[in-house]
Amino acid sequence: MIVIGIIVGCIIGALIGINAPIIPYTYSTFLAIAVVAALDSVFGGITSVLKKNFDLTIFISGFFCNSILSIALTYLGQKLNIDIYLAALVVFVGRMFTNLTIIRRYYIEKWTEKLQVNNKNKEEKAK
Amino acid sequence: MKIKIKKEKLVMTITIAIACFTLMLVMFMQFKVVRQTDITAIESMRESELRIELANWQEKYDELNEKHQEITQKISEYQEEKESDEKTANLLEKELEEINKLLGKTDVQGQGIQIILTDKSYTDSSDGENSEPIYDEDLLVIVNQLFEAGAEAISINDQRIVAMSDIVLLDSSIIKVNGQRLLSPYVIKAIGNQEYLKSAVMGKGGRGAELSELGYGVDVEESDKILIEKYDGTFGTKYIN
Repeated sequence: MIVIGIIVGCIIGALIGINAPIIPYTYSTFLAIAVVAALDSVFGGITSVLKKNFDLTIFISGFFCNSILSIALTYLGQKLNIDIYLAALVVFVGRMFTNLTIIRRYYIEKWTEKLQVNNKNKEEKAK
Repeated sequence: MKIKIKKEKLVMTITIAIACFTLMLVMFMQFKVVRQTDITAIESMRESELRIELANWQEKYDELNEKHQEITQKISEYQEEKESDEKTANLLEKELEEINKLLGKTDVQGQGIQIILTDKSYTDSSDGENSEPIYDEDLLVIVNQLFEAGAEAISINDQRIVAMSDIVLLDSSIIKVNGQRLLSPYVIKAIGNQEYLKSAVMGKGGRGAELSELGYGVDVEESDKILIEKYDGTFGTKYIN
């Protein structure tokens, strides 16, 4: 059911996004940083699911608050004539890599466990 | 219990769907913007660059404006100078005119006297009518006396007497003045104070009076409009350097 929700949401979002009006290039930086923040939240959510401490409220609030905060920081950076969005980008992407590592490790461990269990079963059968 | 779990799951699904929806929406909008920007890079990418360029141009404009003002000022200065140059040119022209007048290069007019000298003619008993010509010396002395009396311009038979004029007797009756051969009667024109000139020539010791006494024809006329023509020759020099 959740998978269906994800797929439907993605498809509708993609369709509307394709048909949406073009925003000025000046504001595209904000959108980009918001996308990166949202992706970071998604990976964080996946990690928390794997760690079994997933909380919907935290995920959603992180998802939107991170985006809005990063946009606000970028705006502030533009006003201050300093590229604050670079700092936000470094943090988000760094966290994304950390989460990806955790996800990767989790699945690799699971896989090796499975292999080991299979081997044990085979040995037992052979005996 | 079962329904409650289902409700929780439904809420979770919807929420995650909304999150996915938002994420995809923003992502695809961004994709579109980036793609569009590639096509119309010149038009949409420049917004900040344009600002910088505008500032640059403004600076340049200010600079050029300053330069323009400087140049305009210079031009006006030059114009003033030119005007003053014209003034000096006018002054020089006037001076040149004055000098030419004094030198004898222009026709001059003014009050003065006109002396007409004619040869002395007498009837000799032996060979009939005879004449005694006027000598160069007479003319020289008269010219000298006129200059002494303050004459400003003198001519003999319309030959202007200038610094290089020569008065030489060629033959018994031909006198060369300015390289031109002149014959009697000699008309001497002089511009200056009429009284002084007349008394210098015709007064006591004046050559005109002496000639008159000797029997030559000496006719003196006073006039307010004596016209003396300019010197015909050239003032070229060969050895002065």
